[in-house]
Amino acid sequence: MSKLNETDIQGFVLRGYNLPFARYVFLHFEDAARARKLIGSLLPLITTGQRWDNGKPQSTVNIAFTHRGLCALELPEATLLSFPVEFQQGMKHRAGILGDTGHNAPEQWDELWHHNRVHAWLGVNAQSPEALEARCAALRSLLTETSGATILASQDAAAVMENGKPTSREHFGYTDGFGNPDYLGISRSTQPGQGKLMPDGTWAPLATGELLLGYADEAGELPVSPLPYLLANNGSFMVYRKLHQNVATFRKYLNDLSTQYSGGKEKLAAKFIGRWRDGTPLELSPDHPAPSIVEDPNRNTNFTYGADPEGTSCPIGAHIRRTHPRDAFGFNGKLIDRRRITRRGLPYGPPALEDQPASDADDRGIIFMVLNASISRQFEFVQQQWIEYGNDARQGNDKDMLLGNHGGHGKFVIQGDTTETNPPFVCAHLPNFVELRGGDYFFLPSITALGMIAMGLVDPR
Amino acid sequence: MPNQNGSIYGLSILSPIIDDPSVNPSHDLQIREILATLSTGAESPFAIAPGTHMARFVVLDDVIFVGYPSVEEHLQSKYLILESNLDGDLDTYLRGLIAAAPQQLDAIYNHCVGYPGSSNPRAFVDYMKSCQLETTFLFAAVNDKSLPETLRALQTQRAVSDFIVTHQGTEPARLQSEFAQFAAKLKSLPIPKPASTTMHRELKIGGRNE
Repeated sequence: MSKLNETDIQGFVLRGYNLPFARYVFLHFEDAARARKLIGSLLPLITTGQRWDNGKPQSTVNIAFTHRGLCALELPEATLLSFPVEFQQGMKHRAGILGDTGHNAPEQWDELWHHNRVHAWLGVNAQSPEALEARCAALRSLLTETSGATILASQDAAAVMENGKPTSREHFGYTDGFGNPDYLGISRSTQPGQGKLMPDGTWAPLATGELLLGYADEAGELPVSPLPYLLANNGSFMVYRKLHQNVATFRKYLNDLSTQYSGGKEKLAAKFIGRWRDGTPLELSPDHPAPSIVEDPNRNTNFTYGADPEGTSCPIGAHIRRTHPRDAFGFNGKLIDRRRITRRGLPYGPPALEDQPASDADDRGIIFMVLNASISRQFEFVQQQWIEYGNDARQGNDKDMLLGNHGGHGKFVIQGDTTETNPPFVCAHLPNFVELRGGDYFFLPSITALGMIAMGLVDPR
Repeated sequence: MPNQNGSIYGLSILSPIIDDPSVNPSHDLQIREILATLSTGAESPFAIAPGTHMARFVVLDDVIFVGYPSVEEHLQSKYLILESNLDGDLDTYLRGLIAAAPQQLDAIYNHCVGYPGSSNPRAFVDYMKSCQLETTFLFAAVNDKSLPETLRALQTQRAVSDFIVTHQGTEPARLQSEFAQFAAKLKSLPIPKPASTTMHRELKIGGRNE
């Protein structure tokens, strides 16, 4: 059993803060010495994984670096070269592998990403807009005092509010954020269905090394890590993707198709994802939403697909069945234990309530962040094989209905049965419901590693 | 049964490559160059000739020492490996191959020891069989259907999928009549040529051909 030093790990890695307001600030370092000084000043402010016994703080701060950022900090060459290749190359360079082409190609991304100038990501989460502003003002003063970095751009994000309270809904109307994996040694309120499937049907935490560097992973190996060990240990890799949502296109497609689908509009929406829009898993309640299931942590992620091999309850190509296949590929789910990712993120842009008009041109979407020990083995595999290709799910060339880069040619098959309200149905001519607007690969170091970087102590020998 | 899985024959041929230090570039590099530009589409020898489900050429340089406790060993020669999943009788298949693509096969196998050339089909068949190894473990994607049956099935799958997309929700009597027309038309279509139905894949997953 891994014993984790929670005060040495950035809190953002260990838990979703569940704070409704966020700002992601992108920094550029002009001078290595001044940038190191800035990191030194930031160090006492960084939120660690220490438990919040006295309640949640008003705000949190975390930091991560691109490979170019680590170069700008003048880490030793031998260290820089020891990082995994995909991290050295960055997400833009990996576009062909990720299927980030056409509407999702780097040329279509926000200006921020065009010039390879992003060196660091500062993630600030807060309980209120006031707390967010206060924390950001303090950070800006620190930047000014140290002249350690310039701000290239900021991205605000916030939970969609309903009656003044934050919800976990995204802009298409689905309840999001179920089912991040459990890992050995990480204490959080765990629930069945969130780790790995065991032969007896129970769920167990994944090996710590699937999330954090320096610990054994599911193969009993240490993840590929930079040198020295102390720089890597307790760190993780983060993928940042700004996903624009074409809400008008989604609504029109759903409305148009639901006139042909005898199960009705909400069931069709549920078939896309594998959950009703309130979050009820189709696998547990194929005919109607069931709030009692959504609210029950012992049930809302606790299911498998073994009893539904034909996909008559949850389509084989539904989003959650593709991206977390549980037992769907056989072998008691063993094939997927090294392909799991931890997700963070919040919606951005003005909320689009169902009864209000929405346009694709509105700047609206979701900031999608992934934490994993190996970007190539975990995130890139999921993106390439399970989002942009369908062979593992036996869906041929069909891509993920919601996230796929379809370009108007996509297809999604809803398996059905002979009942009137659950017919087989083919969704064709899929447009891009989601478009990539930018992002990159980041390294989230431990508190010790941040100190080493700040003090110029990184020594790969 | 060795070499056979269902109705599919698994062919393994190891041809020693000529080792001649006076030749530059060496014979194995010359084969590698040809293979690097050999079509994997409709112009491939295996697409022109009948009966190939899947085929792969590999140049085997040597065995690699992977470290203690394994023992360091070396091959006596470099080899050209041909692995092929094919329909039916081996002699018929090999004769079909040399008849369809004599120039391409000569260009490759002229660099192998004892290759008789394509002018005498019988000698070609004998040569290939003399280099054959028994295939003891064989994976075939489809092991109970012939190549034409498989190509027809892929064509049908795609056509039916398109038909469903355009006819979803059509009123039953009209659907039945249009399906009858569709089925008759599909039946009359020629069997697609090998490799002609391969779909363009945008994703790069590594390797020269992608």
